[in-house]
Amino acid sequence: MTSRERVLTAMRRRQPDRPPFDFSFGFSPAQIAVFHARTGADDPYDYFGADTRMVWPGPTTLTTDYTPYLGAMPAGSTIDEWGIGHVPTTSRDGDHAHLEGFQYPMLSLETAAEAADYPLPDLDADYRYESVRSEISDIQSRGLAAMAMLECTIFERAWYLRSMERLLLDFADGSAFATTLLDRIAEKRVVQARRYAELGADVICYGDDVGTQRGMLMSVTMWRRWLKPRLARTIAAARAIRRDVLVFYHSDGDVTAIIPDLIEIGVDILNPIQPECMDPVALKRAYGGRLSFWGTIGTQSTFPFGSPEDVRREVRARIATVGVGGGLFLAPTHVIEPEVPFDNIVAFVEAVRGA
Amino acid sequence: MTNDTTHALIASLRQAVIDGDAKAAAATTERALADGLAASRLVDEALIPAMDEAGRLFEAGEFFVPELLVAARALKASQALITPLLAGSPSAARGRVAIGTVKGDMHDIGKNLVVALLQGGGFEVIDLGADVPPEKFVAAVTDQRADIIGLSALLTTTMLQMKHTVRALDEAGVRGSVKVMVGGAPVTQRFADDVGADGYADNAAAALALARRLMGRSG
Repeated sequence: MTSRERVLTAMRRRQPDRPPFDFSFGFSPAQIAVFHARTGADDPYDYFGADTRMVWPGPTTLTTDYTPYLGAMPAGSTIDEWGIGHVPTTSRDGDHAHLEGFQYPMLSLETAAEAADYPLPDLDADYRYESVRSEISDIQSRGLAAMAMLECTIFERAWYLRSMERLLLDFADGSAFATTLLDRIAEKRVVQARRYAELGADVICYGDDVGTQRGMLMSVTMWRRWLKPRLARTIAAARAIRRDVLVFYHSDGDVTAIIPDLIEIGVDILNPIQPECMDPVALKRAYGGRLSFWGTIGTQSTFPFGSPEDVRREVRARIATVGVGGGLFLAPTHVIEPEVPFDNIVAFVEAVRGA
Repeated sequence: MTNDTTHALIASLRQAVIDGDAKAAAATTERALADGLAASRLVDEALIPAMDEAGRLFEAGEFFVPELLVAARALKASQALITPLLAGSPSAARGRVAIGTVKGDMHDIGKNLVVALLQGGGFEVIDLGADVPPEKFVAAVTDQRADIIGLSALLTTTMLQMKHTVRALDEAGVRGSVKVMVGGAPVTQRFADDVGADGYADNAAAALALARRLMGRSG
């Protein structure tokens, strides 16, 4: 089986030769440095033989000036194409110098007209997908599965612009500002999803963190009012192009309460199933006929604090339970942070491969 | 003013905060103060019970983050009118908490909820923000006489900073004069014990109960 066949087989809930795997959102920079030192290799995905590769739209040619929205920024800050300010931490330590905070360009805007006027990036422009086309065909020609990234789809993108507290207050107030902002982001995402489907992506990766480790961040009622219809629209846009494109949805935390809704709007795969707050076996029992599970190996527990044998045991346990009949993709539940022992990463890969 | 009117005003202020109705909270506060109710009584009988109830509903899974945020906004609308009248009264001194997300970590939503509930619970809160180095926590004890230090972290990487912060308090010779409470998604009671904290809470409402316990009051 090629990697691509393995991913498609397992995620369509048929039995693959072994579960597919990758490294979720990758290695933190400190962990990459360890990887280079230990292996002498360049790329952990190539070195370990991960089954997927990710693609994003090509870079923008727009040069929008967002400084009127952001005001003064701390030294070392950068501004992304949405106008969101990224602020480095004061830490110069290699182990967490990669973490950053946000400066919110829409924090002090008030009216729906202001939300309508804010300059959004040209993610719907054709030229941004020329590289996507060639990257997908290159990935697939190597026998790998192409994952087209649509992360921070609507809610997270909106709160990176607005701040989470302001956006949640907007939701509570039923504000026209939030309606306009979410609609505008969703329109961009509809085009992006459609383009990914047209260009032959195997999996489209949607995601908005709406869970905490104690349950939903907002009530299911609020989620259904503000986020579900817009997420549904972006999924339907891809499905209208290709019925069989796989729809992956990521949310950290415990989002058990919205799983039936996610399945209803077309989600095939749920990620990352944090075992610290969601039980993968119970979910397999309840939803395994309609939903596949991607992740399940805890980066808050086993990866940083377990032994290599603990990692192997957790992987084998997942394969013997969640993996039965397909429907399991093994991965760390988030970025591999600096404190994860490198031997645990090696043990993870060996256990998945059955070595 | 009759007793009935007094009770009705206090009850409606309490309900306005729980419902997150900032306009009603401010209007009721104004009316109560104009009618001669003591500011400290509004705090003790309306604001503190209201945020306690919001915290209880949050713990019970009936309230979520947005409901807590609107309750905190209504609380602030009332406090803006009350606080100037409170200086020197007993309600102003339930304890002083200096709280922040530890060095290297910018995640502050959880910490902000704890701040809101502590303020609602009558604590004076010094919010040190996010990415706070150990020496700033030390200064909050030496310069601002904090009774409690609250440490938050979202990541397994940054929660190790809690240990450094407790050590810094130790080295500054102030560990004995301050209580340390910790929380955040990856933090456990066991980790709290390992770093030498005085207490751990797994959610914002529990953090308020813990702060009261650490000040020697029942939660």
